[in-house]
Amino acid sequence: MFSRQFDLAVKLGVGALGLVVVVVFCVVYFSVRNSVADVGYRPTQPVPFSHKLHAGELHVSCQYCHAGVEESAHSPIPSSQTCMNCHLLVKNDSPKLAMVRESYDKGTPIEWVRIHKLPDYSHFNHSRHIRAQIDCKSCHGPIEEMGVVSQFSSLSMSWCLDCHRSPDKHIVGARPISGVFTGKLEKVSNLLDSTFLFKPIPAQVDYAGVTDIVVPSFGATESKLPAHKIDGIPHPKYAGYGPENCSTCHY
Amino acid sequence: MNIPRPPIWLLILVGAVAILAVLILSGRITWFSTDPPVEFVPNMDHQFKAIPQSGSSFFSNKSSLREPIPGTVARNVSVYPLAQGDVDLADSVNVDPNYEKSEFVIARGQNRFNVFCAPCHNYNAKSDSNPIVKRGLWPGIPDLTRPETAALTNGRIFHIISAGQNLMPSYADKVSPIDRWAIIYYLRTLQQAATAGE
Ligand code: HEC
Ligand code: HEC
Ligand code: HEC
Ligand code: HEC
Ligand code: HEC
Ligand code: HEC
Repeated sequence: MFSRQFDLAVKLGVGALGLVVVVVFCVVYFSVRNSVADVGYRPTQPVPFSHKLHAGELHVSCQYCHAGVEESAHSPIPSSQTCMNCHLLVKNDSPKLAMVRESYDKGTPIEWVRIHKLPDYSHFNHSRHIRAQIDCKSCHGPIEEMGVVSQFSSLSMSWCLDCHRSPDKHIVGARPISGVFTGKLEKVSNLLDSTFLFKPIPAQVDYAGVTDIVVPSFGATESKLPAHKIDGIPHPKYAGYGPENCSTCHY
Repeated sequence: MNIPRPPIWLLILVGAVAILAVLILSGRITWFSTDPPVEFVPNMDHQFKAIPQSGSSFFSNKSSLREPIPGTVARNVSVYPLAQGDVDLADSVNVDPNYEKSEFVIARGQNRFNVFCAPCHNYNAKSDSNPIVKRGLWPGIPDLTRPETAALTNGRIFHIISAGQNLMPSYADKVSPIDRWAIIYYLRTLQQAATAGE
């Protein structure tokens, strides 16, 4: 009916159109995925605070500022009081710290821009992970090398589950710089190295076999381990595999 | 039908673009952005609820954190009763619970000491050669292994950690009472090691 030329042109045209549609779809679909859209988010903060200087060079432990992370779901951002512990006497006339001093004097909070943010329908708990001796670096990357914090992991659901299924591949063992408590004396010669090698225990473990660590149990609901005498120290524990049940994260 | 063979540079270009695209899409290459991430379908990402440390459009002071009614004491939280000057009361108020000095407790003391005290007092408690000590205008941070400090009672050191002393800030809000005792026990081991080494 049509000439061969016209037939070919139609076929090619439809093919090209299809290709364009597929490419556009892929680009749009993949570029809103967390691994592309969220990773590398690095907002400008109100105070030019540098983790590279404070944690990397001065070796201030993460928990000095983010204290309470081993007990609560959220990791607190330090108050200006915490900064002033040092900055009353260190660089106390620096213009870069003017906002911190003002906040300290007036009691108004500094409005840091939030970087890591899960959607509100999913729930993450720091304390559970910190007490399983998982270092901050496993999830936040080498923060102590960042002048300005940027998001390192995608924080997507598959990222959570990848680690929950094979923790040994993803977990960086506790390092002294993070202040993660392992229940054992630390060597402070190299603060940035893991002194602790993470090896997951099977979910239903015979706890009687775990002997090389003194494991107290404070939250009676949490483990069947022998109770320790002192109440109140958030105890570290051997971690099993993370849960994959929908309701642990979506409730 | 005779389709001409594409020139080699075109093949290389297409290949390079494809490799780049794969690397970017798989997250191996990232670029930094100061703009918040795009939310394509923001389904229930932002719910109308109070989230810690995030501010709130609901309350008049724009803070999601609600202040407790004055005088409220939270459960399991002890308020340190003494002011910095009440040195004389330190021993009668802070009675050493004499926890067992097991490796676990000493390790906890070390962990907390390294986190909260080492920035100023250094890991060996000698308060020397520390970048923070060197860079600040500190009039002098005492060596905690010196005999004068070793002579302080446990209750007194507990008081110093809880209420601070002159330029040393209070750590009552960050270090729980039990951790303070653990720190003291660990500090004693450092002091012993220092006197033994001399
Ligand atoms: C001297 C205090 C201090 C120390 C030490 C410190 N931080 Fe921070 N951290 C802050 C402040 C202040 C912010 C908020 C401003 C910013 O994002 O830069 C912050 C932000 C962060 C954020 C981003 C929070 C968000 O908005 O999503 C992460 C993650 C983080 N810190 C992890 C760490 C880790 C890991 C360490 C240890 C290697 C560490 N911090 C050590 C003070 C500190
Ligand atoms: C443990 C002590 C300590 C704490 C806590 C601390 N800093 Fe610092 N900060 C320092 C030291 C030491 C320097 C380096 C001074 C120098 O370069 O000589 C510094 C430098 C800085 C600078 C650069 C100042 C300049 O003029 O170059 C900024 C900004 C800063 N800090 C912000 C903060 C903020 C914000 C906080 C609270 C989250 C904080 N710091 C907490 C010790 C501390
Ligand atoms: C298992 C992974 C994981 C580990 C380990 C981890 N974090 Fe996080 N962190 C997250 C996730 C996920 C978020 C986002 C939480 C949210 O949006 O509710 C986050 C958020 C934060 C924030 C922003 C404030 C908040 O809580 O929403 C800070 C600060 C932070 N982390 C610091 C730390 C520090 C310091 C450590 C180590 C002591 C640490 N994190 C260890 C996954 C982790
Ligand atoms: C680096 C590895 C790792 C990453 C990443 C990780 N987890 Fe976990 N998670 C674990 C391990 C290991 C456990 C088990 C801890 C234990 O045995 O106490 C766990 C436990 C949990 C629990 C406790 C379940 C319970 O039974 O109470 C929750 C909830 C959880 N994870 C949520 C998340 C969410 C949400 C994310 C992603 C934002 C995430 N995790 C990312 C390793 C990880
Ligand atoms: C380890 C914690 C965890 C578990 C277990 C989990 N999720 Fe999720 N889920 C998340 C997180 C975190 C997100 C948010 C990812 C993001 O930022 O887009 C999410 C997102 C989702 C979304 C929205 C995806 C989108 O792109 O809008 C759905 C639907 C979902 N989860 C369903 C489930 C179902 C069904 C299960 C049980 C098979 C489950 N989840 C188990 C952590 C978890
Ligand atoms: C911000 C820096 C800083 C930090 C962090 C710090 N200190 Fe101090 N500390 C000082 C200074 C400065 C003095 C001297 C106070 C004075 O002039 O009386 C001091 C004095 C002391 C003394 C008294 C020594 C004596 O002989 O009079 C003790 C004990 C002590 N600190 C213990 C601790 C413990 C335990 C911690 C951890 C919880 C700690 N410090 C954390 C700065 C600090």
